Amino acid sequence: MLLGLIPSVSAQGGEIALTMGSWRVDDVAQMQVILDAFHAVYPNITITFDPTNPPDYNATLRTQLEGGTAPDLFYLRSYATSRQLFEEGYLEPLGDLPGLMENFTEAARAPWATDDGLPYGVPFIAVSHGVYYNIDLFNELGLEVPQTWEELLAVAQAIKDAGYDPFANASGDEWTIAEIVFMNIAPTFIGGYEGRQAYLNGERCFNDEHAVAAFQAVADLAPFLPEGQEALTYYDSQQLFLMGEAAMWLGGSWDIPFFESEAPDFEWSVFGIPAPEGQEQRYVTFHMDAGMGLNAAAPDDHKEAAKLFLEWMTTPEFATLMGDTLPGFFPISNHPIELSNPHANAFLALNEGAGLDVRWAWEKLLDGQPDGYTLMQNGALAVIAGTMTPQEAADALQEGLAQWFEPAQNCPAGM
Amino acid sequence: MANSVLAPARASEQVEITRWDVQRRRTWVLFLIPALLIYTIFMAFPLFNSMRLSFYQGQGLTPDRYVGFENYVTLFTNPLWRDRFFNAVGNTFVFFAIHMLVQNTLGLLFATLLSNTRLFARNVYRAIIFTPATMSVLVTGFLWTLILNPRWGMLNQVLEWVGLGALARPWLGDANLALPVISLVSSWQWVGLPTMMFLAGLLTISDELSEAARVDGASAWQIFWRIKLPLLRPTIGIVSVLTFIGNFNAFDVIFAMAGARGEPAYATDLLATFFYRTAIAGEHPVAQPNMGLGAAVATCTFLILLTGVSLWLRFGRGGEETLAG
Repeated sequence: MLLGLIPSVSAQGGEIALTMGSWRVDDVAQMQVILDAFHAVYPNITITFDPTNPPDYNATLRTQLEGGTAPDLFYLRSYATSRQLFEEGYLEPLGDLPGLMENFTEAARAPWATDDGLPYGVPFIAVSHGVYYNIDLFNELGLEVPQTWEELLAVAQAIKDAGYDPFANASGDEWTIAEIVFMNIAPTFIGGYEGRQAYLNGERCFNDEHAVAAFQAVADLAPFLPEGQEALTYYDSQQLFLMGEAAMWLGGSWDIPFFESEAPDFEWSVFGIPAPEGQEQRYVTFHMDAGMGLNAAAPDDHKEAAKLFLEWMTTPEFATLMGDTLPGFFPISNHPIELSNPHANAFLALNEGAGLDVRWAWEKLLDGQPDGYTLMQNGALAVIAGTMTPQEAADALQEGLAQWFEPAQNCPAGM
Repeated sequence: MANSVLAPARASEQVEITRWDVQRRRTWVLFLIPALLIYTIFMAFPLFNSMRLSFYQGQGLTPDRYVGFENYVTLFTNPLWRDRFFNAVGNTFVFFAIHMLVQNTLGLLFATLLSNTRLFARNVYRAIIFTPATMSVLVTGFLWTLILNPRWGMLNQVLEWVGLGALARPWLGDANLALPVISLVSSWQWVGLPTMMFLAGLLTISDELSEAARVDGASAWQIFWRIKLPLLRPTIGIVSVLTFIGNFNAFDVIFAMAGARGEPAYATDLLATFFYRTAIAGEHPVAQPNMGLGAAVATCTFLILLTGVSLWLRFGRGGEETLAG
């Protein structure tokens, strides 16, 4: 009689305490809201959020996994970094998780799945990219949101003529040129997801006309960056924009909370990178940032409980709650969601009718040396500094990747 | 008579001393053990372990696959690593050279002025010169990045006010200027240390020497060049070797002012920042550190330091002895 009772007690009645690892130390309070909502649905499961300092996250997680002290659930970086953990057996495969296949597109699952499509993480957080603009300054100068790339440059010229900085972006922190300038612009010029896949499967060389156009676009912006931009930091750029000295800023949605708290009265919105004249399709860099993984070494009852949480992550309730609790971080699932934060909605609205894609370098191009990220960053920096032409920057990208990335070796030369 | 009394006594005393000596020698070794243990565990063992690690590779936290000299081959021949490595070595030598030229020369100058007992308010100057050395590099580095900021920094504004606006630059963003500028900031911060050491050295030089020279008609300039400077040679040697060791391990000032990538475009990348990225932090955004290769970088740094210090011991010390003799 007792024997029959024990399993049912452990499966339903028993208290189960799970831990969750993350690199988002800024989100402790917000994650508590989300985890409390889950606790309300499953009162016998509690999850403790235990984030690690971002730069140390990869190393810390690895130590924990190797030492057997890793949390039950943990944030996964997209593509290569997590793929490696899965291949070494630290991540539970999630092919049979209810809701995962139905509620996410293949492209959304890809950052946390094998080449065959076997998922080992639930898509969790995406960040969007666009152009922040100062509404008051645009009104004052009688400017409209540009609809084409050429109009964007004309608007920039008008702002410069009026004595303001057109763009607040600067290269003092070099990563910003790669992530929020070059990879923000690139999908528009290389043709989004399909275009990027053409590079990844060897149909295009990395120095084809599209890649050159992407570097050319960075060169187009260079004259409109602030004076002394070589030594201005990311923070300086944010301040230049918030202080109204610069009218636009290529940036990411993750800064919404910072801008809102730093300057609550400042009127700003965003527009997407406009397509060049004659190109119908517009593109937005909607980057898959974090997935949620399940520790393969967790005890069975923990795994069972953790899977309930992962399943809950695929629901529309979770998507809305997450989007509202963490403004600037967007759910990745297919559910149509309505957010309460106007700035987050402004970013989300950019997606309508646009082709969405992740940052160019993330999938596959970070797997070898020299990695695509560094090559694109160095190329974009050189183009801004005027030490390379866009063609030379694209050639350097192709040449660098061809050292280890097979599709780049077999692409049709002469393109 | 005196001899006959003393001689046997001395002999017996000698026997006793020898016994005592043996005992004392044993105790002496005992006293050495704690220090030796601490040194072995915390200094020698990690050093040799890091050298051992440089022959290994692996994905995990501790590299476990023996690869022989592969890491060194990669470091010296793979263009990806070779260029970064030699760039870092070159930058570190420039960093060191600027410290020798600016920090230590100024230190000598300040010490000479401060050693003048008739100098007005010399303790105040001494405090002013030494104060920066008591502050955290992260704090002074941050302050200087504010001062040097091309947009709202003080330096460019001051240049503007005095009519030298044409000289205004994005100081830390220019690949040709960033390293010298950071070296100068670092020299400014640490100039107090050589000043103190030179001052201590100058104070040990007997005034009688200068007095005698002055009587013989030597000028203050001649006294400095012909008497004080030669007698300061041992101090100069120590200051140089300490600067060398400090500069080849320098990390914090670059980290504070230019970031771990040695921005712009690796122009300020030193051996320590290169090591940090290779072994500990990894490159953004993948952040996959390579400990085996990092250990190889650390070993190379150690060998450069060892060579430098040995050269000083061989030639620097030689000079000292000649002087003494």
